[in-house]
Amino acid sequence: MTRTTRRAPGSSVLRLPSARIAVAILAVIVSLAIFGSTLAPQSPLAIDAGALYKGPSLHHLLGTDYLGRDVLSRLMAGTRLSVLTAFEAVAIGLVIGAPLGVATVFLGRWFDFSANRVADALMTLPSIFFAVAVTAALGNGLVQAMLPVGILLAPVFFRVSRAATLEFSRAQYVEAAELLGGSKLHVIRVHVLRKVLPTIAVTTATAAAGALLAVSFLTFLGIGVQPPTPTWGGVLSSDLDYLNLAPWAPFIPGALIAITVGALNALADAYRDRAGAGELHSPVADPVIKTHSTLQPLEAADDRQTAA
Amino acid sequence: MAVAELTTAGGALAAPRRRRTRAAASRIAGGLAVLITILLLSSFITYSLGALSNSNPAATILGQDAATPAAVAHLDHVLGLDKPLPVQYGNWLSQAVRGNLGVSYFTQIPVSQSIAQRLPVDLSIAIGAIILAVLIGGTAGTVAAVRRGGWTDRGVTLACSAVSTLPAFVVGIILVVAFAVTAHALPANGYTGPSAGIGPWLAHILLPSLALALPVAADVARQLRTSLVSVLEQNYITGARVRGLPYRRILIRHALRNAAGPALTILGNDFPLMLAGAVAAEAVFSLPGLGQLLLESAQTRDIPVVQGVLLVVSTFVIVINLLVNTALGLLYRSADGVGV
Repeated sequence: MTRTTRRAPGSSVLRLPSARIAVAILAVIVSLAIFGSTLAPQSPLAIDAGALYKGPSLHHLLGTDYLGRDVLSRLMAGTRLSVLTAFEAVAIGLVIGAPLGVATVFLGRWFDFSANRVADALMTLPSIFFAVAVTAALGNGLVQAMLPVGILLAPVFFRVSRAATLEFSRAQYVEAAELLGGSKLHVIRVHVLRKVLPTIAVTTATAAAGALLAVSFLTFLGIGVQPPTPTWGGVLSSDLDYLNLAPWAPFIPGALIAITVGALNALADAYRDRAGAGELHSPVADPVIKTHSTLQPLEAADDRQTAA
Repeated sequence: MAVAELTTAGGALAAPRRRRTRAAASRIAGGLAVLITILLLSSFITYSLGALSNSNPAATILGQDAATPAAVAHLDHVLGLDKPLPVQYGNWLSQAVRGNLGVSYFTQIPVSQSIAQRLPVDLSIAIGAIILAVLIGGTAGTVAAVRRGGWTDRGVTLACSAVSTLPAFVVGIILVVAFAVTAHALPANGYTGPSAGIGPWLAHILLPSLALALPVAADVARQLRTSLVSVLEQNYITGARVRGLPYRRILIRHALRNAAGPALTILGNDFPLMLAGAVAAEAVFSLPGLGQLLLESAQTRDIPVVQGVLLVVSTFVIVINLLVNTALGLLYRSADGVGV
C-alpha cells in the first residue's frame, strides 16, 4: 500500500455523521469528567426539604431526588468517578492483553496454547461477581472493584490482537519484508503493529463501553462508594426506591448511561467500517488463517471423499 | 434428507465415520482436560482472594473484647488459617468437592445450605430468560426476515439496536415502571417458590426473566434475520416454492433449520452469562438470590460465603459453557466449538 492511498483512519471516520455525533457526546462526557463538579449549577450534596421529587423545571433542570438534591448537579459531579474507574479497567486490560496478544504469535506453540487456555478460563468468569468478591477481600472501594473487571477484560484484548497479528504476520508483504532483511522487531513494529492498531482501537472503544456499564452497575449495587458521594448508578438506585412517587426519575440516569455506552459502541462501529478491521473484533476460538497453504482441515477432506 | 443418508451409509464409508467419531471423542476428552485445568485455576483464584484479604477472621468472630492474641491464635488453628496457602487451598478444595463449603463466620449456617436455598431463584430466572429470548428473538427475527425491507423489518431492527445498548438493569427498571408501577399488572419485587403455586411463581419471575431476556433476544433476532435473509434467497427455497409447498412449511422445515446455527451459538454463549446477569435482575427486583447473598457477605467480609458463591457460580458458568460449546460443535461442524 503506498502512502498516497492510505487514509489516516481517524479523519475518515469523522466523515460519518454517526461518528461525529458519538465523538461530540464523548467530548461532553470527558469535559464533564474534568470540570463536572465545578460546572454543576448547584451543590450535589445540598439537601432541600422543600423540593422533594420535583420534576424538571427551570430551577432544577432535571428535577430533584428524595432529599431535594439537584439531579443534574449530582450526575455532573458523579461523572468523574465513573469515567476514571472505567478508564482504569480498560487500561489494565489493554496493558496486559494487547502486548501479550501480539507477542504470543511469535513466542512459540506452547506459550500460545497455554496463554489461550488461560484466556479461555478468564473469559468465562463473571466479572461482576469477582468485582464484588474483591471488595470483600481488599476493602470497599471502586478502584479495587474495577481491578478484576480490568483483568477480565485482558483476554478480550489478547484474543483480538492475537487474531489480528496472526492474520497480518502471515501476509505476503511481511514475508517480503523479512526476505529483504528486516529484523523481526522491525517487521513487527512497522508492518504488523501498524495494521493491528485499528483493531485494538475498536476493541478499546467496545471495552470502554463494557467497563462503563460495569461501573454503573457496581455503583448501582452500592459497591465502592459511601452514600452521599454522587455516582451515576447511585442516582439510579436511589430513584428505584421511590418509583411510586416519581416513576420518571430513573429514566434520566438510565438515559445518560445508555447514551454514553451507545456513543462508544457507535464510534467502534464507525471505526470498524472505515478502518476495515472487518470481523476481527469478534474473538474467534482458534483462527486458522493461512495465506499460501492449500492444505485442508482433516474433516473437510473427509466430507469431500464422502461426497465423491 | 433421510434418503440421502440411507444411500451414503454404505459399508465402504465406515472408516471416515469411525475417524469422525474418534475426532468427536478426542474433542470431548480435550475439552474435559481443559475444563479441569480451568476449574482448578478459577477455584485457586477464588480461594486466594479470601486469603489475600487483610481482614482477621478470628478477631472478627471473637469480637472486640474476647480477641486476645492467644484466643485468636487458637481459633486460627481450629479454622486451619495458620497453615500455608497451598495447604489451606487443598483442604478447602477437597472439602468443596464433597459439598462442604465451610461455615459462615457470623451465622454459623453451612455455606452450601445457604447457596442451595438461593440457587433456585437464579436458575428459574435464567431458564425463564432463555425461553423468553428464544420466543421473542426467534419470532422477531423470523418476521423481520420474511417482511424484509418493510416497515416491520425496520421497526424490529430499530427496537433491537435500542434494546441492545441498554444494560439489563436499566431494562429491568423500565419494565418495573411499565408493568408494576403504572399498570399494576405484575409484582415489582419479591419471590415465591414454585411450591407456593405455579401462578404466583411465574408472576414473580416473569419480569426479571424478561429484563434478562430482552438484550439477548435483540442479538438473537438480529443474527437470525441476517442468516434467514440469506437462506431465503437460496435456490432450494425457490425450488420448494415452485413445487408448491406451503410457505409456512418451507420457512420452518427448510429455512429456519439451516439459518438457526449462528443464532443458537449466540444463545449458547449467552446462557452462562445470564446466570451471572441474574444478579442485575435480583438487584432491581429485590429477589433473594445468589447475588444478594454475595453482596451481603461481601459487606460483612464473610469470606467463606464469598468463596463458596464465587466457586459455585464460576463452576456453573464454566461447565455449562463447555457443554454448550461441545454440543454446538457437534451439531454444526463449521462452528468453532472446541474447548470452553
